[in-house]
Amino acid sequence: MKKLMTGNEAAAWGARLAEVDYIPNFPITPQTEIIETLSKWIREGEMKAVFRTMDSEHSMLTAAGSASATGARVFTATSSQGLLYAFEMLYNLSGWRVPVVMVNVSRGLSAPITLEPDHNDILSARDSGFLQIHCETAQEILDSILVAYKISEDKRVMLPTIVNFDGFYLSFTREIVDVPKLEDVRKFLPEYKPTHTFFKASKPLAQGTPVLNSSLYSYFRYQVHRAMENALDVYKEVKEEFNKKFGRPIDEVETYMMDDAEYALLMTNSFSTKGKKAVIKMREKKINVGLIKLRLFRPFPTKELMKQTRGLKGLAIIDQNISPGKGGVIYSEVSSELYNYEEKPKVITSFIGGLGGKNISETEFEFAINYTRKVYEERTTLRVPILLFTEEDKKTSKTLIDIAHGGEKNEA
Amino acid sequence: MIKVRFHGRGGQGMKTSSRILGTAAFLSGFFVQDFPIYGAERRGAPVVAFTIISKEPILERGYIFDPNILLISDETLLLDKQTDPTKGMSKESIVFINSNKNEDYFKEKIGAKVIVEDLTKIALEVLGRPILSTLIAGVAAKLVGIEQKYLEEAVKEELEQIGANEEMIRKNILAATIGYNKVQEVKIEQTESLEPEVKVVEVEYNDPEISTPVISFVANSYLKKTGTWRVFKPIIKYQKCKSCRLCYVYCPESAIKWENNFPVIDYENCKGCLICVQECPLKAIEIVREGE
Ligand code: SF4
Ligand code: SF4
Repeated sequence: MKKLMTGNEAAAWGARLAEVDYIPNFPITPQTEIIETLSKWIREGEMKAVFRTMDSEHSMLTAAGSASATGARVFTATSSQGLLYAFEMLYNLSGWRVPVVMVNVSRGLSAPITLEPDHNDILSARDSGFLQIHCETAQEILDSILVAYKISEDKRVMLPTIVNFDGFYLSFTREIVDVPKLEDVRKFLPEYKPTHTFFKASKPLAQGTPVLNSSLYSYFRYQVHRAMENALDVYKEVKEEFNKKFGRPIDEVETYMMDDAEYALLMTNSFSTKGKKAVIKMREKKINVGLIKLRLFRPFPTKELMKQTRGLKGLAIIDQNISPGKGGVIYSEVSSELYNYEEKPKVITSFIGGLGGKNISETEFEFAINYTRKVYEERTTLRVPILLFTEEDKKTSKTLIDIAHGGEKNEA
Repeated sequence: MIKVRFHGRGGQGMKTSSRILGTAAFLSGFFVQDFPIYGAERRGAPVVAFTIISKEPILERGYIFDPNILLISDETLLLDKQTDPTKGMSKESIVFINSNKNEDYFKEKIGAKVIVEDLTKIALEVLGRPILSTLIAGVAAKLVGIEQKYLEEAVKEELEQIGANEEMIRKNILAATIGYNKVQEVKIEQTESLEPEVKVVEVEYNDPEISTPVISFVANSYLKKTGTWRVFKPIIKYQKCKSCRLCYVYCPESAIKWENNFPVIDYENCKGCLICVQECPLKAIEIVREGE
């Protein structure tokens, strides 16, 4: 059934179709619509689940992990500061090996406070042991939540997953979503049957026990890494099955107009749509360019990425985040993974764009590709990273700063 | 592809307008995207919403810089430098303005195809409140050529979602139909994207006095003249006023001064919320529609 819905509603539909048992929650813009939608369905009897509003995101994630450890299927959602507030629990959940699925609606971090998206929030959870799936469209959100449960609950994985998407650009944007039938989802995603964490009077367990022996600590933490490696294979199996059942590919690395591309943009999340449009415009100008979108970020799909970037003259990575003192997080990840690969792109360039939801215009994408081409053709030295910031952005910033300091007496 | 941009003020219902148009287009079988932008919410503050309608999948995200159709629910927004509602408009764009002035008044200022109707008057007659969501949705639906039955269905669907009762839905379908019949379908010229060419520049280091989020210019909020937000103007009838100070205390904008033992409204900052009217125990504050 096709419906018009926001990204947030698509996330709620994902949880509903996964028939989750328990939803601990705490509101934060721009995520709140997800839990509002779920609570409405539960109140009106359209969905059966226990819905509990907690006192903070930290408690929320603790409750999520604990409930999952009893064998319940658990869903929760947060954003930005909320994710950071819950941070220590992320590592606990992966250590407990509980298959919670959490949505993060990306929003730039304070200070200064903002409501619009960038990815410093989600990328800070990079090393936590959560799988990460990043979405470009509302359809991908719904699909990714179903896929996330299937992978997380696989015995070879048993790790929690974060499904990520952009605030405003996706959370509040309505587009058409094909909602699968519940019977079909049930066939794809059967009931969760835990084998290592459950709550049974006849079979008492002590869970999440302290480990003070360092060999054993190394062993357990490395198991999380091994499980992540398995998750790459499991993802492949699951995407095949998903595509067969629902007719939608959800490749870990998506390619757009890459067949004969010499240069490519590499992006994640909703701004990829802007990137695709820019690719079309550049193609009209006879620039051989395509776009590579990372959908799976943890585990990192190195092999797929090698395949898709093979022989490129230049790869321009657009990071919607910044690691001060280093640069773009995804640039570092991709470059380090491709470094030892013979057929890697000749040049990899790094751009920071879209911080706090700032638009990336077609000209800015074209600038990134032209710069990459120049570095390749003229062997000029590379400047890393380059901020995508326009004359107009600079003017706007200056005006606002002037007003803040009383320099501009104009109407604010 | 048709890109529609709605400009209005918080409380007028522009988000609902964009959703009604979106749903109506979806019901007609098009690809659709709709999206509102509002900051920290405040009644009367500028709001922007968008609807994109297309026969093909849509490759757009966020703000529409080059609308084919612009609907401005409040002419005073034209004076708001930050909102700048006609930004990105081309000669082919259609601009609809809700105003009690005539088309010639706006024509030279805007220089595009301008359509003007006094929807606030209709809203007051039909709905009893200056809420424009369904009227503007009706206008938009007709301009882009959507069939009336889909408009009506969309109004019903969207209003049900926000918990409207049958009576309200009936009145709003009527309002939408009136909006629909006020205008004619327009031919949309498919112009090339007008997204302006921009120049990427370097950002150098600046000293922290400038490069941190600090405001040294204190008490500057009076510079933001919220007086342009008014649809209705409160007028104090001093013969009736007994100087009880309630209006003075309740005004959320501190737009009522106390002078010579009487309240005086500062119209540059009064945003027209009419709380003073509500609170005055002697009904000494009258309401006049702005511009009348
Ligand atoms: S309408 Fe009355 S209460 Fe509202 S801002 Fe104006 S003076 Fe103040
Ligand atoms: S509330 Fe009415 S009576 Fe009291 S001061 Fe204001 S206008 Fe006068």
